[in-house]
Amino acid sequence: MAHSRSPYSARRIALACFALLLVALFLLPNQIQGLLQYLDGPVGHVVGVPLEAIASIDASIANRWERYVALQGVQEENQQLRKEIEWLRGQHSQLREFSAATERLTALLQFKEQALPTMVAAQVIGRDATNRYRAIILNKGESDGIKPDMGVVTPAGVVGRVVKTTGASSVVLLVTDPSNSIPGLIQRTRDEGIVEGTQQGMARLKYIPLLSTLRDGDRVVTSGLVGGFPRGLVIGTITNIDKQEGALFQSAELMPEVDVGRVEEVLVIQMSYGQSTKAGAEADVIGKPSP
Amino acid sequence: MKFLFYLILVLLLVPLQTTLLPHLSVWSIKPDLGFVAAALVGIFAGELEGLLVGLAIGWVLNLFSAGELWLSLLTNGGVGILAGFLGRQLTLVTSISLGVGLLLVSLASGLFAAVSFTHLDMSQMWWMVESIALPQACFDGAVGAGLYWLLSQWFHVTRLRTE
Repeated sequence: MAHSRSPYSARRIALACFALLLVALFLLPNQIQGLLQYLDGPVGHVVGVPLEAIASIDASIANRWERYVALQGVQEENQQLRKEIEWLRGQHSQLREFSAATERLTALLQFKEQALPTMVAAQVIGRDATNRYRAIILNKGESDGIKPDMGVVTPAGVVGRVVKTTGASSVVLLVTDPSNSIPGLIQRTRDEGIVEGTQQGMARLKYIPLLSTLRDGDRVVTSGLVGGFPRGLVIGTITNIDKQEGALFQSAELMPEVDVGRVEEVLVIQMSYGQSTKAGAEADVIGKPSP
Repeated sequence: MKFLFYLILVLLLVPLQTTLLPHLSVWSIKPDLGFVAAALVGIFAGELEGLLVGLAIGWVLNLFSAGELWLSLLTNGGVGILAGFLGRQLTLVTSISLGVGLLLVSLASGLFAAVSFTHLDMSQMWWMVESIALPQACFDGAVGAGLYWLLSQWFHVTRLRTE
């Protein structure tokens, strides 16, 4: 039995609109996307208002929870962290020595001094609207100078790269997403590869030369060859090596350095090494070298 | 008045979907509220409004996702128009029938999305269907059925549908 509430013409209009949309999406996908991009900025600003309001309420609730309620096991964690600090202090003094030596050698070789990357600090205000991608939403967008393909990091290491921007927000595809690829380098052996996410939420370094002498525990850093990352930012640590007989390359599983599921604040790399830092110095910019 | 309602719906869906729902996700899977909302608008307001609201939801939610725009427009617009047609053909829509319908359509759109990921091999595609599309379809069906049941407790839904 059919209802008579919907006029026949409305049904025809709906069908015609949908058919037209289907044809347009398949025949002219870039033009449709380009057309809608003009509206993305202003609409992003409007939608950003309730989004930021709810995100700030959410953050303050989470903050209170972490400060007052979820304090179980803090004493053990504290003791463990103290031990870690002691160990890191030792490492720090060693690294200072290395740093001084590097400076002397650099001066000796008369290397041209490289500009530090300029970064914009941003807050995570949400996660991808779908379940199909591992992505986070930042509260800074085009109006803050953020553009697609810029690298996103925390002081601990690489988080991902910007894939989409609106006026007041941007979407960052995480390093653990299978459709993300970042050029990587094994720090110890200097062998290059491509870091891709896995479906299990880890990362994998692919296309490593067969003769590479990599081993578990090796650190993988950005190679700086392509994309929005300068060389030397930590991506992760190798946990498992996959070397198959007859394969042209070997690959390795990585444990990402940053816990991307819990990241709250990030830095977006606006200008990489060797590029002008003039534009980035205007806004809320932090000129901070990466670890 | 209706336009204002739809505008508020679209504006509120974004923070709900991106900020609040991740806290309620089970095994990192959350329901697609935009999909459910487009279906409910289609059921109550007909295919044209279902399509237009679905497209608006698809577009705005896609601004906050790494996904492709065409897939989002197609899924949300498609479910709006489909729900409109079904709502007009069926006299009695129950929360169970709506839930099952949403489950099937969500599963179909999840399968379509998995196939459209060109870089996936067969095992990865199967993993995506098994671990993302299927649980999300169950979630969408349950949420849709729950919302319809709630609406039927507050309003006379049959009259709402025929108005």
